[in-house]
Amino acid sequence: MKALTANRLSDGEVVFWKDGTWVERLSEAQVFSDEAGAGEAEASARTQRTVVIDPYLIDLVDSAGFWAPVSYRERIRALGPTNHELHGKQAEGGGAVEALRQAHGAARSSGRVNLIRRK
Amino acid sequence: MYRYDAIDRAVLADRTAEFRDQVRRRLAGELTEDQFKPLRLMNGLYLQLHAYMLRVAVPYGSLNPVQMRALADIARRFDRGYGHFTTRTNIQFNWVKLDDAPDILDALAAVDLHAIQTSGNCIRNVTADPYAGAAADELEDPRVWCEAIRQWSSLHPEFSFLPRKFKIAVTASPHDRTAAKVHDIGLLLRRGRDGETGFEVIVGGGMGRTPYVGPTIRAYLPSDRLFSYLEAILRVYNRHGRRDNIYKARIKILVAALGAEAFAREVEAEWEKIGPEGDLPRAEIDRIGAAFTNPDFVADPASGDFEARRAAEPAFARFVRNNLKAHIRPGYGIVDISLKGIGETPGDISADQMDLVADLAERFGQGDIRSTHEQNLVLPHVRLEHVHEVWKALDAAGLATPNINLISDIIACPGLDYCALANARAICVAQDIARRFETPERAEAIGEFKIKISGCINACGHHHVGHIGILGVDKKGEEFYQLTLGGSGAEDAAVGKMLGPALPIDRVTDAVEAIVDAYLRERREGERFLDTLRRTGDAPFKEAVYAEAH
Ligand code: HEM
Ligand code: SF4
Repeated sequence: MKALTANRLSDGEVVFWKDGTWVERLSEAQVFSDEAGAGEAEASARTQRTVVIDPYLIDLVDSAGFWAPVSYRERIRALGPTNHELHGKQAEGGGAVEALRQAHGAARSSGRVNLIRRK
Repeated sequence: MYRYDAIDRAVLADRTAEFRDQVRRRLAGELTEDQFKPLRLMNGLYLQLHAYMLRVAVPYGSLNPVQMRALADIARRFDRGYGHFTTRTNIQFNWVKLDDAPDILDALAAVDLHAIQTSGNCIRNVTADPYAGAAADELEDPRVWCEAIRQWSSLHPEFSFLPRKFKIAVTASPHDRTAAKVHDIGLLLRRGRDGETGFEVIVGGGMGRTPYVGPTIRAYLPSDRLFSYLEAILRVYNRHGRRDNIYKARIKILVAALGAEAFAREVEAEWEKIGPEGDLPRAEIDRIGAAFTNPDFVADPASGDFEARRAAEPAFARFVRNNLKAHIRPGYGIVDISLKGIGETPGDISADQMDLVADLAERFGQGDIRSTHEQNLVLPHVRLEHVHEVWKALDAAGLATPNINLISDIIACPGLDYCALANARAICVAQDIARRFETPERAEAIGEFKIKISGCINACGHHHVGHIGILGVDKKGEEFYQLTLGGSGAEDAAVGKMLGPALPIDRVTDAVEAIVDAYLRERREGERFLDTLRRTGDAPFKEAVYAEAH
C-alpha cells in the first residue's frame, strides 16, 4: 500500500494526497493498492507547483487498524518531532496518532530515495 | 558592541524588500522551486521535515538585550514560542511559514540582524571565543577582528560563490573555545617577539565525511596583514578548490591533496602579488575597535556577600564551580547559562527565557550576551556581588543547570526530528544520556566530559571532536549509532576513533555508561577522561562496551 506525500509550499506543512487535493492527516490520505494509480497521482501532483514541493510516494503497513509509513523518517514526518510531543500533527492525539507511534516497520524511505535519484 | 551605520541598514532594507518580492513571485508561480530554492537559502530559509526553518546569524555569537528580545518576539509571533541555538552560534526557528519569512527578516533588520550568508557557498558567520573581552587568559579582544572579517566578507563579490561553504574561527586565548582547528580557517592570536600581535594561521580543518585537524600554514602573521592574507587563501581556494564533486569541495580536501607546505607556498605567492594594498588601514581597525571598549567597568568592585553565600549554599557553590569562569578584571565573573537542562533539547530556549536573559544582561551584564558553539549562552561581565541574584533568576527559569563541560552538557544536532538530511535522531539520545547522569555529584565526579552527537555524517553536531562522538546511521531503515572515542575540539584537537560496530538506539546510553565506568576504574589522579583514554588506548573501553555482546 502507498500514499503520496509532499510539503506544502506556503508553510512547509507535511501533506498527503487525497483525490487531487491535499490533507494534513495521514489517516485521511488516499491509499493506493496499485502501482498505476499511485504513479498517476504522483505525476498529477508534480504539476501542482504552486501548491506543494517535491511530492513522492511512501510505503505503508498496517498498524493497529491504521495505515502507517514503513519508514521511520516518514512516521516522524506524519507525527512531528519526538522531542516536543505537542508540536506537529501528533498534538491532537487519538487512535491514528497512537497507531503511528506504535508502528514498527523499518525500511528506508524508498520514495524519497527515488526523489533524490531524480535530481 | 558594534553598531550598524546607515549604509548597513540600507543594505538590509533592500535585501529584505528583494526577498519579499521573490517570495511573492514564487507563490504566484512566476518562479519554480528550482529557481527559488537558492534564493531562499541565501536568506537562511531551509525546508526541513515539518516546516521551513530560518537560520539567523548571530555575528560571532554576540547579542545585545534588544536583539535577544526581538528574537523572543519572533519566536512568539512566528514560531512556537522558542528558538534553537546551534553549534554555529546561530539561532534557528523551526516552524516558519514561507509567507511570514519576509516579515521576520524585517523584524530582524530592525535590530541589526539578518540571515544572509547563513547558507550557501560563501563565508559564513565567524566563530569567536564566547568569552571574548572577558576571559582572564586572553591577549586582546578577538571580536574586533571578527567584526572586521564580518564587514569584509559580507556580500564579498569575489567570495560569494566559492567551491563550498567557508567557516572562520578567531580566538585570542591559549585555551581554544571555538574549535578553531576544525574550521576552514582558524586564527589564533599570538604575541610576536616584537611585542605586537599576530595570528597563527590554520587552514583546512573540518568535519563532515572527511574530518581533518587543520595544519598551521603560517606560525605568525602580523595582524595588520590579516586581510591580504585571507584574500590570498580564499583566492587560491577559489581557483583550485574542486567544483566537480560536492564531497571534495571543501578547502580541507585541497589542503590535504596539495599538502600543507605546497598549499602555503601558493598562498604566499598570491599574498606577495596582493601586497599591503589588500589590508585594512589601521585607522579602520581602530574605528571598529572603539565599539568594543567597554566603558562601564568599575575598578575593583566589592564582591558583596558572594563568598559568604558560596560557603553557605551548596547549590550556589555548585553553580559557581561549574558555570562561573575567571574574568580578566577583579571583582567580575563570566556566567555560563546552560541550555542543557536535564531532559531538555540541547540548545532550545523559550521566548520567556530569552526575555529573562535579556533582562539579566541589561541589569547585571553590561548588555552583553554570547552564544557558544556548545549551544549555551554566556553573560560575560557579571560583578561577583550580583552572581547570586543572577543565579536565583536563572534557576527559577530552568536555566541554571550546573553542568558546563560536564557529561550532560551535550551537543546534539537537530537530527531526524527536524533535519531533512538526517539518518537518525540525535536529540533523544542526548536527553537519555543526560537523564542517566542527572545526579550533579556523579557528573562532577566524572569531570570534564564532552559528548557530541550528529544525526548524519555531515557532523553538524561535531561528533568527530567529541570525547565520545555519536553518529547516527541508517541500517536498513533503523536508527543505529556509531561511537567514536578521543576526539577534541579544543587546543588539543583530535578526530575521534571508531570504537566498534554501531549500536541500536536502546544500547547507546548503556554503552556511554560502560565507558564512563571503565574510565573511573582506570583513571589516575587528576586525569580527565581524555587523558586516561590517551594513556590506556581504547582497549578497556572496547571491552566494556562490547564484552557483553560476545
Ligand atoms: C537544515 C539543516 C541543516 C542542513 C541542511 C545542514 C547541512 C550541512 C552539510 C551538508 C554539512 C557538511 C558540509 C560539508 O562537509 O561540506 C554540514 C556541516 C556542518 N553543519 Fe550543518 N546542516 C544543518 C543544520 C545545522 C545545524 C542545526 C548546525 C548547528 C547545530 C549546523 C552546523 C554545522 C557544522 C558545525 C558542520 C560541520 C563543520 C563543517 O564541515 O562545516 N548545521 N551541515
Ligand atoms: S549532522 Fe546531519 S542530521 Fe544533523 S543537522 Fe547536520 S545534516 Fe542534519
